Amino acid sequence: MNFKDRYAIVGIGYTPQGRFVDRTAMSFHVEASANAIMDAGLDRKDIDGLMCYRQFSPKPGEEEVTPYDVAERLGLTPTMLSQEANCARSHLHHALGALEAGLCKYVVLSYADTSLLGTNSAFQYYDDKAVFGQLATVGEYALAAQRAMHTQGTGPETWRKIAVSQRKWAHLNPAAIMHQRPMTDKDYDDAPYIVEPFRLPDCCLMNDGGRACVITSVERARDLKHPVVAITGLGQHNSSRDIQTSTIMDGPSGAKISGETAFRMAGIAKEDVDACQIYDCFTYTVELTLQDYGFFGPGEGKDWFDHGRIAPGGSLPVNTSGGLLSEGYFMGLTPLSEAVMQLMGRCGKRQLGPETGTRTPEIILCSDNGGVFQTHATAILRRL
Amino acid sequence: MNPLAASKPLPRINPDNQPFWDYCRRHELRFQKCLACGHTRFPASILCPRCYSREARWILSEGQGTVYTYAVYHKAFHPAYADELPYVTAVVALSEGPHLLTNIVGCLPKEVYCDMPVTLVWEDIDGSFSLPKFKPVRQDAR
Ligand SMILES: [Zn+2]
Repeated sequence: MNFKDRYAIVGIGYTPQGRFVDRTAMSFHVEASANAIMDAGLDRKDIDGLMCYRQFSPKPGEEEVTPYDVAERLGLTPTMLSQEANCARSHLHHALGALEAGLCKYVVLSYADTSLLGTNSAFQYYDDKAVFGQLATVGEYALAAQRAMHTQGTGPETWRKIAVSQRKWAHLNPAAIMHQRPMTDKDYDDAPYIVEPFRLPDCCLMNDGGRACVITSVERARDLKHPVVAITGLGQHNSSRDIQTSTIMDGPSGAKISGETAFRMAGIAKEDVDACQIYDCFTYTVELTLQDYGFFGPGEGKDWFDHGRIAPGGSLPVNTSGGLLSEGYFMGLTPLSEAVMQLMGRCGKRQLGPETGTRTPEIILCSDNGGVFQTHATAILRRL
Repeated sequence: MNPLAASKPLPRINPDNQPFWDYCRRHELRFQKCLACGHTRFPASILCPRCYSREARWILSEGQGTVYTYAVYHKAFHPAYADELPYVTAVVALSEGPHLLTNIVGCLPKEVYCDMPVTLVWEDIDGSFSLPKFKPVRQDAR
């Protein structure tokens, strides 16, 4: 099946993002989805598919969100409902499959959380690894990063460049949670270790909020109000190996095959990519993903990220909203929504092009990643 | 008994992992070895992921391996670990093949390195559980 330029993302829904003790995850799902539908210029009656990302464990007193409860609050009676468990990242494949099969015409994809750091997922490790004090996702990615330090000579010198560059993008994004919280190289070096080798700025944010988008056919997109942003390449590959048994933690991860698949569908080379929005749960994830996509060889990131390559004014901007590290955590919808907004030309001070001394984008490469490199999806978006 | 230590997570026994933890209580580190193709697997599973045979034998590990990778916790994500910081989690590659997530003990965190030879030591939690942990193999081992 070749979906090249057949489907488009036509609306993005934002919500307040940060820390909101008086809000439920449900309320963010509903707000983000409604905003995405209205942003596309659609009516609720148009929506016939609703897919929700993973629901992290709800905080005490809050019910677990299921797609039909979200649909009820949005006034929807969709043909298709789905929700992915844990960190499988097949949402776009499922959405496009449903559109291609004629099951749906307009699919909403939504994510929301009220994570309030430390109250839920960080504590809920129930597997046998928890008895050894392996209690947080950061600990598992730290194991992966340490292995890459050993085999490829990567380390904080590389990750610092990623964290600091993304923070510069966040400084141009008033909605970013770390907006006006500048970070120097020294700030990075002085930050405390969480799980060594990772310091606090190597770790993504955990925040309250929601994010959603609407996907439909390119034909229908042409009748809607925004410039058409098509999915021109799509790939997925899932190593499905727990950190305990993984031998791909220093690459090649699923990003390699997923990326090759997406580039092949798009019929482009990496030189054609104007910017990247890379799933950045940790700085090392950005390095390994770009490495597996072929932008540089194993361990060469140390030099590749030099000279502000991925920062404002750089030759290959990466994570231009600030990303999961500095804008906000909305799983794969942080990178995907930013790619769409950039290609639509709606990004204000951080807009790629003359405003930021970068190329005006036509093609943006996005990644999504789940587990500890257990799942990976790639989407290449193109402004038609 | 230290009340904090008592509140650490304990193994959650289910029909798949019960034999592993039962052997641990006897200070035996055992893994399933497929009788059809010889693949040694961990964690425990109903069948061999390579040939789908359900026939397996629990072989005894010699408890020798190397540190495949490790990490040093500087933050307690559970209050029971606050007194243990910094502590080392590691994936140990055992000579029989399986990788095991465990702890490196008996040395300082800064002394741990990838590919470091390590050997099994048992930590008895209480009457019901013993955890397989690893310490460095040293020339001057006591
Ligand atoms: Zn077998």
